[in-house]
Amino acid sequence: MDAILNALSCLMALGTSMFLWRRPTSVYKETGVMVLSLCVFVLFSYFTVDSSEATLEYMPFRMLALCLCFSTTSLTSHKSRYMVLALVLWLWVEFFGGLTFVYRGLEMPWTRVVAIGSGAVGAAFLSHISREMEFMLMVYWIAIWMFF
Amino acid sequence: MQVLWGCRRVPDFSGVSVPELAEFEKEVRQALSCSKGAFDLVQVPMPGAIRAPGASPLNRFGMAIDLDACDGCGKCILACMEENNIPLSPKEQRDAGRFMHWIEMHGGAPAMCFHCGNAPCEKVCPTGAASHSPDGLSTMMYKRCTGSRFCGANCPVGARKFNYVDSVKEGLVRKFNPGVPLREKGVMEKCSLCIQRLQDHKHAQMVAKPGTEWRGSGLKTACSEACPKNAIIFGNWLDQDSSLVKEAKHRNLYVPAEIAALDPSVVYMRGRR
Amino acid sequence: MYRILVYIGAVLLLLGASAFGLSLWDGPTAWHTDARTFWGIPISLFVLWIGLAHAGTLISAIFLALGYPLGRRTSMIAELSTLCSLVVAALFPLVHLGVIDNFYMVVPFLDARGNFANLRSPLVWDFCCIAVYGVVSLLFFINHLFSEKKPALKKLIRPMAWLLFPLVLWVHTIVSLDFAVTFVPEWRGAYFPLYFIAGAIYSGLALVIILLTAEHCRVRVLEKLMLSLSWFMAAFWFWEFLLKGMFSFEVFFLGAVVPQFMWLRVIRENTFGRLLVAFSILVSLGLERYILVTPSEYDVANAFGWLDLGLVAFSMGLFVLLFFVLRAKLSALLEGDDVVMGEIVLQEDDPAKMEVSESNVFSALRLPLLLGVLVTLVYVTWAVSCDSGVLVSLSVANIVPLCLPLLVLVASIVLCARPLWSILGNRIRFVAIVLAGILGVFVGAFWAGGGSDTTSAVVSVQELASAKSIEGIWASRCASCHGNDGKFNEKFVREFYPLPQKLSLERLDSLGADSLVHVILNGRINMNPYRGRVTEDEARGLVHYMRLLAGENQ
Repeated sequence: MDAILNALSCLMALGTSMFLWRRPTSVYKETGVMVLSLCVFVLFSYFTVDSSEATLEYMPFRMLALCLCFSTTSLTSHKSRYMVLALVLWLWVEFFGGLTFVYRGLEMPWTRVVAIGSGAVGAAFLSHISREMEFMLMVYWIAIWMFF
Repeated sequence: MQVLWGCRRVPDFSGVSVPELAEFEKEVRQALSCSKGAFDLVQVPMPGAIRAPGASPLNRFGMAIDLDACDGCGKCILACMEENNIPLSPKEQRDAGRFMHWIEMHGGAPAMCFHCGNAPCEKVCPTGAASHSPDGLSTMMYKRCTGSRFCGANCPVGARKFNYVDSVKEGLVRKFNPGVPLREKGVMEKCSLCIQRLQDHKHAQMVAKPGTEWRGSGLKTACSEACPKNAIIFGNWLDQDSSLVKEAKHRNLYVPAEIAALDPSVVYMRGRR
Repeated sequence: MYRILVYIGAVLLLLGASAFGLSLWDGPTAWHTDARTFWGIPISLFVLWIGLAHAGTLISAIFLALGYPLGRRTSMIAELSTLCSLVVAALFPLVHLGVIDNFYMVVPFLDARGNFANLRSPLVWDFCCIAVYGVVSLLFFINHLFSEKKPALKKLIRPMAWLLFPLVLWVHTIVSLDFAVTFVPEWRGAYFPLYFIAGAIYSGLALVIILLTAEHCRVRVLEKLMLSLSWFMAAFWFWEFLLKGMFSFEVFFLGAVVPQFMWLRVIRENTFGRLLVAFSILVSLGLERYILVTPSEYDVANAFGWLDLGLVAFSMGLFVLLFFVLRAKLSALLEGDDVVMGEIVLQEDDPAKMEVSESNVFSALRLPLLLGVLVTLVYVTWAVSCDSGVLVSLSVANIVPLCLPLLVLVASIVLCARPLWSILGNRIRFVAIVLAGILGVFVGAFWAGGGSDTTSAVVSVQELASAKSIEGIWASRCASCHGNDGKFNEKFVREFYPLPQKLSLERLDSLGADSLVHVILNGRINMNPYRGRVTEDEARGLVHYMRLLAGENQ
């Protein structure tokens, strides 16, 4: 998958994350937005990623995890807790997805896993997240997505 | 003193019928009549030493099947059954095209376990019953098998066979070869590359010519011995003097596409180069 | 009401028990197995019931951990259903096995032959995760059950919920890996962890909604969650269709279309309407698992025999019976004061109070987690050193799946031990000590049985002694009893009782070379041990020589 499409997928995750947790929140609205964005990611991955590439399998779910990470910055309460949970979800998708690929002869993306994991541990220690900090975190996540 | 666990029990044939050789021949004919589809073959280089800790730098046994010479007569299947005491299948299984044969015809050419150097079956076996020998064989410890059939599910070419029934009690097996144990109900089995012949050969050489390196030269598996066209060649991939390497050097080597990335020890040969 | 349900459960159980017994007796030939994967209905039922076992802990533990506590009775019902489904789920992998006696070899702990389980196999992780999940949810349930009366236990609930939260998701992830790590084309799925978790929660919610209906109550939050999850499942099925072309109309209709009827007031407000939707979800998910496990048999109706149906009935009967018997026994403790069970409104706790309780949770968890990490590290180091697999390298990624369950097990036992001990009566304490002693002896015996050196013996064949010296050893050491020609020295041997076995070729074959070497070195009945007098290589040479002699004598 080339860098342009990768950047585009990151942008899409960022774009859909804008619709999450807008007040007033409700169970139906939030899950609806998540499922719709998941469908968008599914179609996007299906049409842009080469079907011979094994990593296609979990692409939409990685995008969903990234989208949830971005969306936590717009939460008003318990921001750092949900940020850690979203990062752990992303770690979960990457690690266990990578593990299935290890058995099928691919390499584990260790740098990415470690980067996300250390991001999650770091976020757990943030008691107050300022706007600047939010921006830095988002840049860090985008860097993980793009370069590792 | 430790208790001797897991000694092989001598099968009790009293009161059961033992099938005649003719029944085995009949089953082989039936298997030949419902040959499975041919593999998609991809070309590979000659197998080298297995790159993993513990692998022998001297020996890696394997076979090459000459697709130009093979006419699919099925003599190898019968020889394999006699050498390894392979049971017949119950009738309903037979009619559904499921046999216990370690060698099966895929598109008219014999296929058995490919003894992958990086075997997927061994990775998922929970008890370690499926494991690799330093000599490059993918081996089975029948006594350790718990019958989870995970290895069977994970074999891309379906080389593994499961003992659904107690074949002694059902009268489906004959102990042609006393040197090979009969498998119990509930364990997986597959081509062992005639490990018993390798072992005897090794012991004989160690006793007769102590101190020499054992490379398995001159040894043949049951199927390669039985082949009238000499289409199955057994040997040591790491021994430049073995008949296998000598022959394979001048041929194009192929393996099924499903396992091409798994470093198989058994290959097909076609065409000269 | 409960009595009728118990009777229904008992009837189903009795009907299914014959199928269950037959499958144990006949082994995997009894039910229908897939031609390609060799798997069948027991694995599907295992995956289904493990999924159902998730709802309980999900509903009570995760909601609690995140600070949205549900009503006591709702969570207790959910937790009880978790325990009962776990019992049902744990039976089916056993049924599935070909050689059930060898089951213990899956445990990654030394066994009597000194062979270690293969840590690369998802089945080993599976076993550990489920065992730990069972223990920890039992502890959680007991804590919750007695917490009304014993304030010492009440403090433990939230820390326990935080321990269970990752574990419950971990367990189903590991179950999904059973499929996802393989080469079966239909099981290709790096996304399986999320897919399985979503399916588990979905079916689990449906089950809890059915069970709550039996309590004559409903919890709207759970219904809303169920409906939302139906969309997620539809998205997953869409992806599966795009990726592998797998699509089942029945599964989609029952699992994703029927639940949308909950939008209709008529269905939503009607008990039978809700039951219908919940049951349709369970059927859909069960069918989905069956199709997944047996990928080459699309014609499900044809593949299902009466025995497969019997196993399904058995699992349902066992669950219903277990659940409602326990429910009736525990009703005094379960219902407590809040007999009225109506709507529960999700309400966040006061933020200031939350901060305090949050820091309490983490200070309570600090020591147990530290101990858990230490024990896990020790275990991992030891397990890696035990691993005997030749030629298949063990990577860090293979071990990680075992770490979390071990950590959670140690942490939750450390966390609960003191408070639970303090509330126990003297009699129960005595019983607990005796049980712990028995367990200790059992584990110790298991441990002490370990350690044989067969693996090193295989390698040392390379340096066999020469034929000449073997003949010499035979003449000097063995011939006095066994005779120069391998027949018995009758004059000498007849003094012994029981008579030694003849060294016939058949006898030698039945024992195998390793065992014979063992006998030569360590002795057996009248045979003296020769360790120290002959080396292991010489013993191996002797075995070969014995076979030569036996061959000549035949």
